[in-house]
Amino acid sequence: MTRKRSLSTVVAVAAVATLALTACGSSKSAKTTTSSSGKTYTIAYQGPLSGGNAQLGLNMVYAVKLAINQANSGTSQFGKLPFTLKYTQQDDQGSATQAPTAAQAIIGNSNVVAVVGPAFSGATKASGALYAQANLATVSPSATAPDLANNGWGNFFRVVADDNAQGPADAQYLAKVVKAKNVYVIDDASAYGSGLASAFKGAAGSNNLTIESETAPGTTQCQAGQGNVQQYDALATKIKSSGAQAVFYAGYYCDFALLTKAVRAAGYQGTLMSDDGSNDPKYISQAGASVAEGALTSCACSVLASSPAAQAFSTQFKALAGFAAGTYSAEAYDSANAIIDVMKKLSSSGDAITRGAIVNGLKSVDFKGLTKEVKFQSNGNIAGTAVYVSKVENGQLVQLGLISDLVKQ
Amino acid sequence: MCFTQNFWSLLISGLANGFVYALIALGYTLVYGVLQLINFAHSEVFMSGGFAGLFLMDHLVGKGHVPSGLTSVGLVLAGTIVAALAGGLVAYILERVAYRPLRRRHAPQLAYLISAIGMSFFLFSLAGKEFGRDSASVPQTFTNGTVFHVFGAGVQTYYLLVAGAAIIMLVGLDRLIGATRLGQGIRAVAQDADTASLMGVNIDRIIALTFIVGGLLGGAAGFLFGIGNGVVYTMGFTPGIKAFTAAVLGGIGNVRGAVLGGLLLGVCENVPIGCVDTSWRDVIAFGILVLVLLVRPTGILGERLGRSA
Repeated sequence: MTRKRSLSTVVAVAAVATLALTACGSSKSAKTTTSSSGKTYTIAYQGPLSGGNAQLGLNMVYAVKLAINQANSGTSQFGKLPFTLKYTQQDDQGSATQAPTAAQAIIGNSNVVAVVGPAFSGATKASGALYAQANLATVSPSATAPDLANNGWGNFFRVVADDNAQGPADAQYLAKVVKAKNVYVIDDASAYGSGLASAFKGAAGSNNLTIESETAPGTTQCQAGQGNVQQYDALATKIKSSGAQAVFYAGYYCDFALLTKAVRAAGYQGTLMSDDGSNDPKYISQAGASVAEGALTSCACSVLASSPAAQAFSTQFKALAGFAAGTYSAEAYDSANAIIDVMKKLSSSGDAITRGAIVNGLKSVDFKGLTKEVKFQSNGNIAGTAVYVSKVENGQLVQLGLISDLVKQ
Repeated sequence: MCFTQNFWSLLISGLANGFVYALIALGYTLVYGVLQLINFAHSEVFMSGGFAGLFLMDHLVGKGHVPSGLTSVGLVLAGTIVAALAGGLVAYILERVAYRPLRRRHAPQLAYLISAIGMSFFLFSLAGKEFGRDSASVPQTFTNGTVFHVFGAGVQTYYLLVAGAAIIMLVGLDRLIGATRLGQGIRAVAQDADTASLMGVNIDRIIALTFIVGGLLGGAAGFLFGIGNGVVYTMGFTPGIKAFTAAVLGGIGNVRGAVLGGLLLGVCENVPIGCVDTSWRDVIAFGILVLVLLVRPTGILGERLGRSA
């Protein structure tokens, strides 16, 4: 007992010391900005860098690095900046159990002024309270679970629309465009999957959809849960005999690929649809191009438009990362740039760049990003709700367009 | 109603899963028979087979077109054999590196257990580091489709392949244990290792060969599983635990028990899914395990390797 108490005292003292140090550091910076002697600040990234969904993390990492490189070299839209940015990252494997450790490591680095991430909803849920306590702004490019915005964390922001936008849009698409009447809804038991599935089911009534639903835990094969891969054959049998015209899967690409293989082998002919977690070319390579053909994915993210800014981003991303920009790359770029935009405004008005000042700055940020206008609601959600749908055609994910436009045709 | 509606389909896919469990379970049971040791690294022997088969198929099968006819048969056969050899090799190395030194020093049982778990972590972490963390698909070696129907339930080519390959290997193993000199040696060591050594049986050699035989089956199972589900460094985890369960269910140390346990587990976890949510799967499967063990604490057949065959 005494031992415990002394430990917590140490932690408290350390926390106070850290805060004091940060305060000192930033007040100094406020003085030096005018003489532009180049103070250094760090922007951190938290997301999956290993594990079955690491590709989504890598898509974001290089976008954040690109934004920082451009800001430092003065080639970004912000021009020459009076400070230098550094980058650091923590791997949470996209998992809720690893996330608090990753968050602690970032919070403990007193040079970190803002965070891009956490990437996944479960990880965000698990580390959100820690970041809120440290008053460190987190701007997630990809965490879409609706309830994340209801925790009263003043430091939470995200540049994607949440699943309350995505789930109902998907239901509407299956009802109006695919013209399905019965849909089999499956979720992977993750915070993200179950939230999205219930948002989908919530919109079933207004779209006259009959729903049958099931939870199939993400598998150990995909490092997405404790489920067993062999569950999919039995599930495919049930789906086929249910007479559902479409299947909606709320989860990630690795398990969606296994489910796709199983239902197609069982001879199921209906439409398969999944979410932004499956909106990745790896879905096609893991399921096999001929098996994945015709499957739909939705995302509150857009495939990059053909604007010059977007083209430049694609080229520079590829040069830096060695692979093409993918799902959430552009959103991560926007997240990092929103933070840099706030920092620039703070320094040009002579204010100190602190964790708290960035949180306040993000609340009123209004900045033209690659994917959308970056502007947050008071709960941290992005203003506006654009959801896009893509389809696997000839082994490629092809964006069909905005769901809200497609259902009108 | 829900139980009968998809009964035959669920039974068939359950049996196919069960055959994979049975092949892996034999590795646990054989080693337990001769050493009274649970080789927890066996799930990584299974994984090694998966990777060996994957690399061979990546090398042999061109992208774009799916082989058919005799080419398919040849490819699957080659993959199974190479995977089995890889499994046997890894199992042999495990025995030499992780178990034999402990045996020489008369280490307590707990040391074997820790050594086994350590090797398991070592192997799958190494595979994850070297071969990447993403699940890789084995190139298609044949076109999967429904071959014939049983009471309206389609039987896929893949299920036939798994069942056929497993049955051949199981019959082969049964003959090996029952009717060869090696089998005699394995049975002798399982019955009484000290007496067997007095009778001139080379115990170290028999133990090493037992590991290899278990490894051959486990490696082949890894490839058969990988064809359907993809190959990844964590692939051994759940099938390994399920196969261990199957071995205990049938009576650990008992070869026929392991096969029976595997098939039973495969069917028991699949058939009830017709009526309940998929998330109940393991609850039901392990519930049955506990019930069986309450009634028959030594498993269904409950005999040791030495007496069974």
